[in-house]
Amino acid sequence: MTPSAVPVVEGLFEVEAGVPRLNGSRCVGCAAVYFPASSNCRNPECHDPHVAPALISGRGELYSYTVQNYRPPPLFQMEPWAPYAIGLVDLADGLRVMAMLSVPVEDIQIGMTVRLAARTLYNTNESGEVTTHVFVADIGRGAVS
Amino acid sequence: MRPVYLLGVGAHPWGKWPEKTQVALALHAMGAALKDAALDWKDLQGLVAASSRFEGGMGWGLHANEAVQAVAERGIACINVGGACAAGAIAFHTAHMMVASGQYDVMAAMGAERMPKGFIPRPPGSADDISDSDYLRWVTMGATNPAYWALETRRRMHDFGTSAETLAAASVLMRRNAAHNPNARFRTASTVGEVLASPVVSDPLHLLEICAVSDGAAAVILGTEAQARRAGGPMIQVAASAIATGTFGDPAARIPTVSATPRFGVPHSSEVVSAVRRGWEIAGIGPGDIDLIEIADNTAWHILAWPEFFGFHAPGESDRRLADGEFEIGGSLPINPSGGFLSFGEATTAQALMQVCELGWQLRGQAGGRQVPDARIAMSAVLGLGANGGSVVLKL
Repeated sequence: MTPSAVPVVEGLFEVEAGVPRLNGSRCVGCAAVYFPASSNCRNPECHDPHVAPALISGRGELYSYTVQNYRPPPLFQMEPWAPYAIGLVDLADGLRVMAMLSVPVEDIQIGMTVRLAARTLYNTNESGEVTTHVFVADIGRGAVS
Repeated sequence: MRPVYLLGVGAHPWGKWPEKTQVALALHAMGAALKDAALDWKDLQGLVAASSRFEGGMGWGLHANEAVQAVAERGIACINVGGACAAGAIAFHTAHMMVASGQYDVMAAMGAERMPKGFIPRPPGSADDISDSDYLRWVTMGATNPAYWALETRRRMHDFGTSAETLAAASVLMRRNAAHNPNARFRTASTVGEVLASPVVSDPLHLLEICAVSDGAAAVILGTEAQARRAGGPMIQVAASAIATGTFGDPAARIPTVSATPRFGVPHSSEVVSAVRRGWEIAGIGPGDIDLIEIADNTAWHILAWPEFFGFHAPGESDRRLADGEFEIGGSLPINPSGGFLSFGEATTAQALMQVCELGWQLRGQAGGRQVPDARIAMSAVLGLGANGGSVVLKL
């Protein structure tokens, strides 16, 4: 990933020291976390529902995963395309979030610790590298994604 | 509120019908349902349409108005409701309430759909930005609908040791039932070996464990007790019609969201569970009273998971019950004697009304080779995009 890389959706995540954090929101009243950002708290038990922007840092436990063997409709761009995994990850703050899972299929295990990273989906002439957020195996700080 | 009765049901067989318009499919189903009720278009006081997501006139999809204008412009009430794959249940609910209220004596609910080919794409109308989950799920990870169901399936395999063979066996059961249903699209018997040899679409789900997309239409005529007596058939009462939406804290990987906030004690697929439990409450019954269920089996996983979510038995027990034949016609809880979505392919907005048609045929003893013996109480359950749930209970 080069410094000029852009996320596939504007405002998807912020990168600091090479580590992406998702742009979500957190309820000031009940601490519920939302991704993408919600303009309201959806928790009916919340007595002080107002939300503020929050950066969601991702280190969590893999809840489940799948491998997509067929190319999705063209709204999804990935070059070169190859079958890939999608993971569902429980983060420490109570959010369960879906993302691509950049872990070799034979190494994927439910319960493994993963962390957020960014990866290139494709390149364009105009904006260069276009990236998305992914989960990678968390094998200690400084690990290469 | 007064009691409401099922007067007639009808359907256009599921399949791919490129030469027929959506309205033609709808009119076919309506004609069959009216004939079944020994009624004519002129007897109808209102029509509720489950509006299509994919096509249909005037910008709001199917279009009770278009159907009426095609056959009988007599000024009747027309209502068009949304709700994606649960739209048929919401249309039924609306028609039911209109009769129950005392204002209408004979109402119809109908759904008709012609589906686009392949993975169901994103519907139009939302912004291409980070505020729209359905945009995010496509551009950031290309998450197809089967990917969501595969995530649930993989987790079930982890939690309960569900085997690939058990999932395949659930699919085989649906085909076995469908062999006796002329309205089903896939009526050829299958084997566990064939299912497991079909392509893995979203691991661990195989092609034959995921519902296809089809074209089809279904219609239901509802009316008062006097109307039911006039029709002369068995008196089938709507014991409950319930609809619901999702509950905060639902742990499901809900299409098309990209995150959830699971909270302890909140049921999985809460929109459906809430509708089912409300339906039981209204009908004054419990799971032990149900003679058969028609559920939205978008995949083989649904066959195993949904009866557990509803409370028919403990989580993880479905595998053994399937193996013991309990979900078969003649078992203790027959699931989808129609053959289910796996044998129909999903014609989204029409699907929930097809479920009600099957409940009607079963309670009347008209289901032929797929007849559940002595069926007296039957229920449906369906889920639709946008966290819509619906459940209908009919009783003889």
